[in-house]
Amino acid sequence: MNDENVLEVLNVAKSFGRQTVLRDVTFSMRSREIVGITGENGAGKSTLLKIIVGWLSPDLGQVMKKDAMGYCPQDLCVFETLTVEENFAYFAAAYGLGRKNHSGGWTEREEFLLKRFRFEQYQKKLVSRLSGGTKQKLNFSLAVLHSPSLLVLDEPYSGFDWETYVHFWEYAGELRSQGTGILIVSHFVYDRSNFDVIFELRGGILRCA
Amino acid sequence: MRLRHIQTGWMMTAKELLRSRIAFILFFIIPTLFYAVIFLVTTQSPISFKLGSISEETFLTVRQRSEALIFIGLAAVGILTSFLALNLTQKHAAENRRLVLCGFQTSEILLSKYSVLLSVIVCIGGYVGAMLPLFFAPRRFLLVLFGFMMGGYVYGCYGMLVGAIFKRELEGILFIVLLANFDVGWLQNPIYYAQAQNKAIIRHLPGFFPSQLSMVSAFTDHSVLQPLLGSLAYGTLLLLSAMLIFWWKMRIRK
Repeated sequence: MNDENVLEVLNVAKSFGRQTVLRDVTFSMRSREIVGITGENGAGKSTLLKIIVGWLSPDLGQVMKKDAMGYCPQDLCVFETLTVEENFAYFAAAYGLGRKNHSGGWTEREEFLLKRFRFEQYQKKLVSRLSGGTKQKLNFSLAVLHSPSLLVLDEPYSGFDWETYVHFWEYAGELRSQGTGILIVSHFVYDRSNFDVIFELRGGILRCA
Repeated sequence: MRLRHIQTGWMMTAKELLRSRIAFILFFIIPTLFYAVIFLVTTQSPISFKLGSISEETFLTVRQRSEALIFIGLAAVGILTSFLALNLTQKHAAENRRLVLCGFQTSEILLSKYSVLLSVIVCIGGYVGAMLPLFFAPRRFLLVLFGFMMGGYVYGCYGMLVGAIFKRELEGILFIVLLANFDVGWLQNPIYYAQAQNKAIIRHLPGFFPSQLSMVSAFTDHSVLQPLLGSLAYGTLLLLSAMLIFWWKMRIRK
């Protein structure tokens, strides 16, 4: 894999029974690049994404990616009966980040994300008591807690209000300038200017949009 | 396998369980209700039965209420632990998979859940067993407590297996209620065992060894080695099966 590339998808194909969902999908993305994949419902976007992150195996082809990957699933994937802070602690342990309040710990990063997305007042609250939008902020923050070199986002702004949506793109720009490659899968691509490349998935085939 | 991951997993799982109101309600209501019903419907008249793990010719004669209390205590432990184990295994499947994607190993998640389950088994077995002296004095009380904990171990592992196999809660609950009802809630009562036509079926059910361990300890001075080893082997077999299925479902391509 080229040093600059953070993700390479080569000739990936996937079928479920007789239904072919992906045909010979090939693309790559570099660091400092924001790539969008769009398509209609049932076009195979989520299947492609699950193959990229490793939840599904392709029938054919291969995926090569950087180890430090952050993934934000479309459905909320956070622990509802834990507090926001405890969710950060759980995922920090998963990423192998240092212990809280120790040198190299994750506290600063947590505080930065809480302030950046304006939900620091909910730090000690149970996630089950938060609004859908705040839960989505947490869902996203957990994906970037370890400053990944590849960020894979599935419909990341579906629950965001306008202000958070703007913050999200500001932050995505910052991540890009720091060298992160960002892959966004979404039904809707509102601001094409935010993306470096946009692909459309139709009939299992990926094309430049 | 990293100790910090297991510690964190244990702590978070335990916190979640402690915040579950329904778990606490069940924890207090089920044993109290079961014991109360037995206390109200049984008498102190003597009753004779034989136990599967000691000589087939040996009949024991004890008070009806004492026998029923041991039987129902074990049923309460079995039902509670299997429900909690089901909940621990089934809940947060997607979140646990995300944790695996972020760096946890499946075995670390399983071990943290399993260690929480062990703590729960000790608490439930201890709590339900500790209520017995309110009604009668078992011959070897500590071994009876241990028998209840073994019941919790076998049924906890069964709950984990059911949770690993079934995605939806309804199917899981059905399978737990079905077996617990048949096994610890009915066939393991020594009175049924004594009159049963086909004892081999009863001997192969998961509640057999813990039930024998508790009964033998409560009413005799016989050795409990066989039911103890049987309980450990049965529970461990269920646990290994649960771990294998859980690992298979959680696996990801790195």
